[in-house]
Amino acid sequence: MAELERRTLLKGSVGVAALGASAAALKWGFNTPDRKQNPADCQAKDVSATDKRLIFSNWPEYIDEDDKKYVSTLTQFEKDTGIKVDYTADVNDNNEFFAKVANQLGSCSSSKRDLFALTDWMAAKMIQVGWIQKLDASKVPNLHANIIDSLKSPGWDKKREYSAPWQSGLTGIAYNKKKVGEVKSFSELLTRKDLKGRVTLLTEMRDTMGFMLLLEGADPSNFTDAQWQKAMERLKKADGDGQFRAFTGNDYVQDLASGNVLAAEAWSGDIANAGDDNLVWIPPEEGIMIWADNMLIPNLATHKDNAEEWINYYYEPEVGAKLANYNSYICPVKGAQEAMEKVNPENVHNELIFPTEKTLSQTHGFMALDEAKSRTYEGDFSSVTAS
Amino acid sequence: MSQLHESTTTDRPASGSRDLRLSGLTKEYAAFTAVKSLDLVMPQGSFFALLGPSGCGKTTTLRMVAGLETPTSGAIHLGDTEITYAKPYKRPVNTVFQNYALFPHLNISKNVAFGLERRGVKNVGQQVADMLELVELTSQAHKKPAQMSGGQQQRVALARALINQPEVLLLDEPLGALDLKLRRGMQLELKRIQTEVGLTFVHVTHDQEEAMTMADTIAVMNQGVIEQMGAPNDLYENPKTTFVANFLGQSNLIEAEIQGREGGQVKVRVQGALASIPTERAHSESGKGWLGIRPEKVLIAEAGHPIDAPGDVITGGFITDVSFVGVSTQYMVKMPWGQELMVFEQNTGARRMLPVGTKVDVSWRPEYAFLLDASQDAKAGIEED
Amino acid sequence: MTSTAGIAPANPHDSAAPAPRGRKLTGYWLILPAALWLGVFFVIPFYSLVSSSLFDPNGSVLTGYNMTWHFANYVDAINDYKGQLWRSIWYAGLATLACLVIGYVLAYAIAFKAGRWKNLMLVLVIAPFFTSFLLRTLSWKLILADDGWVVGFAQTIHLTNLLNFIGLTGTDDRLLATPFAVIAGLTYNFLPFMVLPLYASLEKIDVRLIEASSDLYASPMRGFFKVTFPLSLPGVVAGTLLTFIPAAGDYINATLLGNTNTKMVGNVIQSLFTTQGDYAAAGALSVTLMAIIVGLVLIYVRTSGTEDLV
Ligand SMILES: Nc1ncnc2c1ncn2[C@@H]1O[C@H](COP(=O)(O)OP(=O)(O)OP(=O)(O)O)[C@@H](O)[C@H]1O
Ligand SMILES: [Mg+2]
Repeated sequence: MAELERRTLLKGSVGVAALGASAAALKWGFNTPDRKQNPADCQAKDVSATDKRLIFSNWPEYIDEDDKKYVSTLTQFEKDTGIKVDYTADVNDNNEFFAKVANQLGSCSSSKRDLFALTDWMAAKMIQVGWIQKLDASKVPNLHANIIDSLKSPGWDKKREYSAPWQSGLTGIAYNKKKVGEVKSFSELLTRKDLKGRVTLLTEMRDTMGFMLLLEGADPSNFTDAQWQKAMERLKKADGDGQFRAFTGNDYVQDLASGNVLAAEAWSGDIANAGDDNLVWIPPEEGIMIWADNMLIPNLATHKDNAEEWINYYYEPEVGAKLANYNSYICPVKGAQEAMEKVNPENVHNELIFPTEKTLSQTHGFMALDEAKSRTYEGDFSSVTAS
Repeated sequence: MSQLHESTTTDRPASGSRDLRLSGLTKEYAAFTAVKSLDLVMPQGSFFALLGPSGCGKTTTLRMVAGLETPTSGAIHLGDTEITYAKPYKRPVNTVFQNYALFPHLNISKNVAFGLERRGVKNVGQQVADMLELVELTSQAHKKPAQMSGGQQQRVALARALINQPEVLLLDEPLGALDLKLRRGMQLELKRIQTEVGLTFVHVTHDQEEAMTMADTIAVMNQGVIEQMGAPNDLYENPKTTFVANFLGQSNLIEAEIQGREGGQVKVRVQGALASIPTERAHSESGKGWLGIRPEKVLIAEAGHPIDAPGDVITGGFITDVSFVGVSTQYMVKMPWGQELMVFEQNTGARRMLPVGTKVDVSWRPEYAFLLDASQDAKAGIEED
Repeated sequence: MTSTAGIAPANPHDSAAPAPRGRKLTGYWLILPAALWLGVFFVIPFYSLVSSSLFDPNGSVLTGYNMTWHFANYVDAINDYKGQLWRSIWYAGLATLACLVIGYVLAYAIAFKAGRWKNLMLVLVIAPFFTSFLLRTLSWKLILADDGWVVGFAQTIHLTNLLNFIGLTGTDDRLLATPFAVIAGLTYNFLPFMVLPLYASLEKIDVRLIEASSDLYASPMRGFFKVTFPLSLPGVVAGTLLTFIPAAGDYINATLLGNTNTKMVGNVIQSLFTTQGDYAAAGALSVTLMAIIVGLVLIYVRTSGTEDLV
């Protein structure tokens, strides 16, 4: 009996010890570190002059390629400068790419890249936490001279000191003209009975909420919490009414083409590339959201000079025209429209590449959010998209 | 008990017997006939044994009676009711399966109660208790089958079938898996129960001793047909075929030439000597035949010495093998024409054991001999083991 | 590691007989691979998850998270997402039930009726696994398309009305982007997890037991419920668990086949982790889901009483 008790006691104390150790593991083993950095303290020695290379991570199918007689912009750059470009299409998703580099950049070690392209809000976030090097303005004269006005000063990088748009796009609405009558405004998506349950909106909070704010008469690039709340209310109401079928990424295009979805909040490039004549992209009456994927030079990049030379090169009008001719996104380079005459006259008046002044004047960017605000708003928005 | 009698007795004609009758029953599988045009009557209340070597169609026959197999042709009657195509769960027939087939998820009393409950009998507790008492398993009522010994499981299988008081109980080698001692015990038990409850038992076995100790009637089956049927001692004493003669016990079959009938006897010539067989034991009338005599009926004496109670005598043999088995001694005697005869002699102590090489004479009482048709194979039914 | 484990028991005489201590150690060496496996693939991730569920919710991916025993995360998570939690259990439960009914019929047919087609049918059951989960689910969008024949047929036979009546679809006569589509997707995707264990336990059943039941006055129906079904219970329990558990945590089906009001807790967790970076809430919600599932499983296994089965 006594023996038994001692045994259980022993077992008990082993248990308590194990619990204690577990608690310690919980506390010390798995915290996540503060990832804020100061770019000034995380600079590498630039070896651009001796090591003529450049490592660039971009989104898939975003750059023209050599084809028989056609010399791509990249090959031309390598010829002109003697810089060898390691071009990898390994950015599929902003958050995913963030996770890929967070451990290095968050602890001031090298991400093994000299340049990458990310969407506005992610670019803003990285700049905010000090992971991105400032561009040397004297080395990118073309950028400041040729960037189109609508992209010149986003809220999060007013003077384009850190970032240079690679390509830009518009967010508006698209509908399947074979299946449904004309759609003109964003508010129709929220209210039209014949669209009920056959509308998709985008999971990109800044795109969708930009429109919701516009509907409230607010300015997406400068709004108040109260306005945000009202915009959320409106979204929730429409959602509660069963107006929306889903919140999506790029995958709305198939549904739109197959007729499951009649109208959608849509990116201009997607519709231009879909090659389906029944799909029509239009700028909604309320306004248009504009976005860009921005080239950024991360901390500890060792070929910063080469990266800047690359940026400067892509802001030459002819280069911009060649690129836009390939991927049908909005060309961020002024003067590219004239240059397009020589590249492909058919595309000179393609409004999806060169939107008219009138269209561009209706574009809005989204306000730069600090980390806390961004969390709150993302949370609010997800409570609808993921409910 | 009274309730279950109702359901089985109502459709029973008041007068007529409830014999189980198989007529022209045939079962063919794709390229093989397992049972060939079987005609059998199993009298109500009898203990009927179906005996035969492995693969002869015993299980198939039972399965047709139970309704688990559809006959290719022929009919099965229970009294006046035809049940050839009746659903198994609608027949007043239960089976004790060769492998017991106890329900592993139910305890013993649930297993035993299964049939009654399926027929909607209420308050089966008492009957189950009685039945478990009968098979002496009262203390095991709450065990699962897997927790019981082979013999206990066998008794559960029996109880599970018996409790339904079926008109016919089919037992498919239920004792096959038991050791000898347990088997003897169960044989007595089964016989006792059968006498007590008075049901028709159809007992399948390939153990001839088992069949002979238990059954009122034995049918010997071979390759899908019944070779011979009758009371155990009739079958043993007066087999009609070489198969039965060899399968049921052992026989010496000696080539004989039939001379003809003379009074109540058939005279034959056996390798020069004369012998006779009572006509009711002679199953061949002319030409060649097999004279059969059981080894224990053969008497043996040293050449020239007198044989007590002599009958037909053949001389000139010598002993090639002797084995002592306690109560008796088995001799192998080589006869002048080269055949070896088997002789069993009781160890009465009247005479010393004869050694190998001894010259001997053999003899038997004519009334124990039997005569079979020579066209049959003398070795049919000899079990090779 | 493996070599030690492999060699030790091969020499029982040297180590076991004279030195019991050696034998004791051998035992420990033998469980080492399993223990390592568990440690690396279960214990450490589990601790990490529990730890993050107790993070200070004011942290962020960028400023870092600290474990502060912030149990209130659980209260918040449950309060904020009880709707989705409940919905996940409900959808997973319905899908499991549908899988059980369909899977049982299928497994029964394969085990008892398929004859020489048995192996082929088994291969067909697992054939969907040869393509990716995502593609299989996406293909349902084509099948259930609003203008497709399936929907047309469902409308003709008024199935859509029926489904609408029991609240599994909306009023507008479509199947895609409804709870029905999500549950159907879950059912489809997890069906093999139901069929295989069911088949395994049905196949083991001795047909002679079924014959015995019919010999003992059980009609085929009664025999099924009294013998076949009870004997297949281990398969039923294994199948329902293998179906319910992943279905409750799934988010792909809700994303692709559902609408904005059919999101399951998996969608919330995914969104909290990836787009919102709210590790604390995501962790708390994950652990809560896990606790609910473990709780349900324990109750289920207890009440189904499979431990008595042979
Ligand atoms: N389903 C079947 N298909 C084909 N042949 C079969 C089938 N069932 C039985 N048989 C054949 O029928 C014959 C009789 O089989 P049965 O089971 O009745 O033999 P048995 O007399 O009970 O033998 P045992 O003493 O070994 O149990 C055997 O030769 C067997 O191979
Ligand atoms: Mg048999």
